[in-house]
Amino acid sequence: MSYAVLTESRIGRAQAINAMSARALLEQDRGLGKASKVIHSGFRETINHFFVPVSRQEADPSIKFLMLKDKWKAETVLLSSITEIAMHPAYQQIIGMGLTAVPLILAEMEREPGHWFWALKSITGTDPTLPEDKGHMRRMTESWLRWGREHGYLLE
Amino acid sequence: MASLGKGTRIPIRVIKKIIEESFPKLKKGGYSVTSPAEIEYNCIAWAAGITDRWWWPDALNLYFWPSGVPRTETIEAFIRAFETLDFTLCQDAEYESGFEKIAIYVDSKEKPTHAARQVTSGLWTSKLGEFVDIEHPIDGLDSSEYGLIAIIMKRPQPSPA
Repeated sequence: MSYAVLTESRIGRAQAINAMSARALLEQDRGLGKASKVIHSGFRETINHFFVPVSRQEADPSIKFLMLKDKWKAETVLLSSITEIAMHPAYQQIIGMGLTAVPLILAEMEREPGHWFWALKSITGTDPTLPEDKGHMRRMTESWLRWGREHGYLLE
Repeated sequence: MASLGKGTRIPIRVIKKIIEESFPKLKKGGYSVTSPAEIEYNCIAWAAGITDRWWWPDALNLYFWPSGVPRTETIEAFIRAFETLDFTLCQDAEYESGFEKIAIYVDSKEKPTHAARQVTSGLWTSKLGEFVDIEHPIDGLDSSEYGLIAIIMKRPQPSPA
């Protein structure tokens, strides 16, 4: 089994266990507070580290990106504040990956729109979106994808 | 908490669990989910009656914010943003025929977190981040996630388009 396939399979197993634990949490018939969220988040990180250790995450930026993106998405879905969304520790770690993260972010944006504009502007120092498109998710996404193709971060 | 993917269909039971986990008061007060998850607009835009833009006064100047209003995350800036749409401050959240009301929520540091709009039934409609729209009682979203209502504003009910 190749390294990439093995890693993919390990991520799959970690995601399956996380999904099971999320389902188990959701099955509980009582209100859940912040404390249970913290416990669940810690459990998820433990599972992730068991199947995909930090050393492997560091060796493959795409794995690190996927792990951070999943955590960020799960913990910011109810937020409206872009500042809060962008200041999430997992998002900040993605920004910390620098230019390595740019093709990964753009590929993710090609798959589905997301709040990646803050990270892209912070990393690249540019903003290809038009002033009249501010806040228009689809148009901003299209501008960044075009920029990515023009600068060789995405395949045509 | 489930993350959202393009075209992801999340069972309503799971959607409700995600919502009730963050807003336990809704479980007691009752609420209904009124739209699928959508990233195109947020609660501020939804309160303003907009569904094609995400409104936020972010420091990087990326998202929509009304022209001439300071791009600061303060209650004053949010009041001014809604004033551009003819809303004025008002005293209470009681339903008044002929008027549309909005509520602005702030966290413990008085930073705005959320906005809701009153509908003709007297209930309130909210967009939850990039998740679903819901209709709920006025105090249903009081929580550690969104904080508490700080401001109520109103404007004459806009005529239907």
